[in-house]
Amino acid sequence: MMYFDDRLYLIAGAALITIGLYALLAHRHFLRRILALNVMGSGVFMVLITYSARTAGSIPDPVPHAMVITGIVVSICATGLALVLAECVQALTGRTELSDERETSEHTGARPDTSDEQHQDQSP
Amino acid sequence: MSHAGSFASMILAPLAAATLAFIFPRLGRWLAFGTAGAVSIAFARLTRLLLDGGVQVHRVGGWGAPLGIDLRADGLAVFMLLITTAIGAAVMLYALRYFNARRSPAEGHQERYFWPLFLLLWSALNALLLSTDIFNLYVTLELLGFSAVLLIALDGRRAALTAALRYLFVSLSASLLYLLGVAIVYTRCATVDLTLLATRAQPGFPLTIAIALMTGGLLVKSALIPGHFWLPPAHANAPAPVSALLSALVVKGSFYIMLRLWFEAFPGLITPAAGNLLGGLGAAAVIWGALNALFQKRLKLLVAYSTVAQLGYLFLLFPLAAGHEGRFTAWSGGLVFLASHACAKAAMFLSAGNVVRARGGRDEIAHLEGMSSLQPISTFAFGLAGLSLIGLPPSGGFAGKWLLLRAGLAAGQGWWVAVILIGSLLAAAYVARVLVHGFTRAPVPGPARPNSPLMEWTALALAILAAGMGFLSVWLTDLLQVGAPAILIPPAGGAP
Amino acid sequence: MLYLFDLVLLVVIVLLAWRSLNDADLFRGTVSFIALGLLIAVAWVRLRAPDVALAEAAVGSGLTGALILSALVRMRRRGRDAPRPNHAGGAIPRRLIGVLLLALFLCLCGAMLRLAQWPEGLTETALAELPASGVSNPVTAVLLNYRSYDTLLEVAVLLLAIVGVWSLRRAEWPGDVRESYPLLMPLLRIVLPTLVLAAAYVLWIGTSKPGGAFQGGALAGGAFVLMLLGGFGRRALRHRYRMRVALSCGLLVFIAASVGTMLLTGEILRYPAGFAGHWILAIEAAALISIACTLGLLYLGGRPEEAGDGTPVNRSVNGSKNGSMGR
Repeated sequence: MMYFDDRLYLIAGAALITIGLYALLAHRHFLRRILALNVMGSGVFMVLITYSARTAGSIPDPVPHAMVITGIVVSICATGLALVLAECVQALTGRTELSDERETSEHTGARPDTSDEQHQDQSP
Repeated sequence: MSHAGSFASMILAPLAAATLAFIFPRLGRWLAFGTAGAVSIAFARLTRLLLDGGVQVHRVGGWGAPLGIDLRADGLAVFMLLITTAIGAAVMLYALRYFNARRSPAEGHQERYFWPLFLLLWSALNALLLSTDIFNLYVTLELLGFSAVLLIALDGRRAALTAALRYLFVSLSASLLYLLGVAIVYTRCATVDLTLLATRAQPGFPLTIAIALMTGGLLVKSALIPGHFWLPPAHANAPAPVSALLSALVVKGSFYIMLRLWFEAFPGLITPAAGNLLGGLGAAAVIWGALNALFQKRLKLLVAYSTVAQLGYLFLLFPLAAGHEGRFTAWSGGLVFLASHACAKAAMFLSAGNVVRARGGRDEIAHLEGMSSLQPISTFAFGLAGLSLIGLPPSGGFAGKWLLLRAGLAAGQGWWVAVILIGSLLAAAYVARVLVHGFTRAPVPGPARPNSPLMEWTALALAILAAGMGFLSVWLTDLLQVGAPAILIPPAGGAP
Repeated sequence: MLYLFDLVLLVVIVLLAWRSLNDADLFRGTVSFIALGLLIAVAWVRLRAPDVALAEAAVGSGLTGALILSALVRMRRRGRDAPRPNHAGGAIPRRLIGVLLLALFLCLCGAMLRLAQWPEGLTETALAELPASGVSNPVTAVLLNYRSYDTLLEVAVLLLAIVGVWSLRRAEWPGDVRESYPLLMPLLRIVLPTLVLAAAYVLWIGTSKPGGAFQGGALAGGAFVLMLLGGFGRRALRHRYRMRVALSCGLLVFIAASVGTMLLTGEILRYPAGFAGHWILAIEAAALISIACTLGLLYLGGRPEEAGDGTPVNRSVNGSKNGSMGR
């Protein structure tokens, strides 16, 4: 069994999670947030894999490996969706961050099938 | 249909239908209709099996926990499936008429993608409710969250897309915190199965952190204060059938997982302080949500804030079900309240959707005059649903609150009683506000787009279900007793 | 010695992670992220997780990086993207977030390091059942036999992602760069067939060595992305019916296998004795096609629309004038 010190990996994993969460909360740009979510995910995976490698035995525990592979695939699906949605929001609002104001004053009740869609260009 | 067949149909039928609806968009409505039928039949069969034979367990792959994944149908799962199936079918019927492809290409596009997304959401809900594996629950949570986000974004309006993106960020980060908790739990206990965890979990700092992480993630997904900020814009700006699904079912999914974790997997590790914290946040949500609802200018935002408030009641279940007495009463009270809120809120959003649509998309409350004469059925549905939210008999809201009150008094935690009463008064206020505007007579010009009767009647049907659920509460409570978590049944000598 | 290697690797990983998220220039940050992904793949190898390393390098680093880069370029073209981290401050002040997260970090470390001795995990059980599982790679056994239900839902998530992206908007085709990069075509002529072969190989070998449908699908997805960059295949992509079938075949085969196994053995996804390996390979093959198409089309980022005259649609930089997204 290859020698390694699992504490290093666990601390690194926790660090990745914390760095990711910090960037998610502190930055507002869509792409930074998406990157932050990916980094957070990598941190969680690192925790899982470190534990699976820790088990004494001929091979590491395969169940966390399968969980991480599933997690990686779900993660890229999330990233793909978030990117397209972010681009759509940018195209409609012209900004690359979510505004904090609640959209209570905006006339947002109209459906696209009403003939006038121009009002949706107005910024709040 | 055999036992395995019931489980398979509930989860795989909507999945298969969603895929086929994606490949053959013209079949979308038929596939949805057929799925509703298949799921209803499977549900009936599963209920029959449960009532005759007790808790049903299916070991997928034949392996069984801890190596494999188990699907389990006990009283709680069947109870939740009951409202999911009923509301899912009602929303399906509503959506048949809501999206009219002939009207414009934009609506044709929406309808084309609504059916696969709706069916995927339904499948995710069923999979979530039947699963006993906390990692599997993570995957179902993601499936549920993504389909909800995409349904919100369906009509492409700026407010909807922004709300959808915010919800997506919140959902993804909450899921990652949950997953970290799962990782720690697996390491500590070598299993991710809820039933096995009950036997293997031992108190300690790691598990406490794990439970805190999982609970934190799930709380944000269930929109408990302070994690509620994403809900009002998301639920208000979605198309009407989507708002109904979100408020009625999607937010309840993460709440259901919390119940499973706290009462089944880790009952011995939960301290009363934690229960009180949740109860306190729930109480804050009840008051804060209702106050916000009272001052909203837009109808759908009012209904969305009402959801925040009503979800607060659900969290009162946690301190009450951990008291010395009355645990099962609190449990059944909270769940009956959940069921009635689901039906009532769905009815409210559907009827609000009818009203808004008939006005060409304007939903300011101040301009709701004439609603009662133009859309009498929808107004009546809204009012009936409001009765349930306020908690007047014989509604399910009344039954739930009554049980919670009894549990509160039995457990000696009477302060929650005050919260329930104040919440009811505030609910009466905001419901009355809408109805008062609706009943004023005024000259109403306006592009009245006539609503299809099906849309009105489904809203009314759900409202009647909510308003009459009090009559069903005894049967529902009996259903919940099948396979109820052991911690709720006190040792001999206590009254449940 | 190895300890030193681990230390250096992890320090670089953490620093790169910080850099990728907080760099003033988003482009540099994204490139750092791709490098981070590759180093994390090295970490997985070090932790004896080669299947995960393959998936991370191909999907987590390569394809994710490609997605983010192309989105970054499009977003910059569409708007005046200020290349500075946003100092406007959110609703919660940064110091407070920093303090809270420091506390979280310490709690996490405390919790995780305290798991000094823990139960064995499921290694022994997984190994014990391996002969009956139909494959000899334990990770594949977990993914496609013991916990195949998770994988079925995961394939559903993949389909959901592409249905969602298509519901949101039309694709903007990448520009035709064949003129500006004369070496692109010869490169593609070598690389594309190699990638497809490699994907098939990784799928096949995944039953006994590290590999499998996801890793193979990621390689084929990479080939798909290269194809898009090279400008081929647009006419084929516009046959959306065929694309929808290709995207869905993975999930449909999986569901059919579930129903089939239920009818044959009475339990969902319990393979008939002796034939488990065949069923697994069949499911994996269909899944590979779907995964490759999904990942490639996620890169495209929208519905490939039929345009009558073959010109790419929606090339306008500013999106659409009206509120909806140019449907």
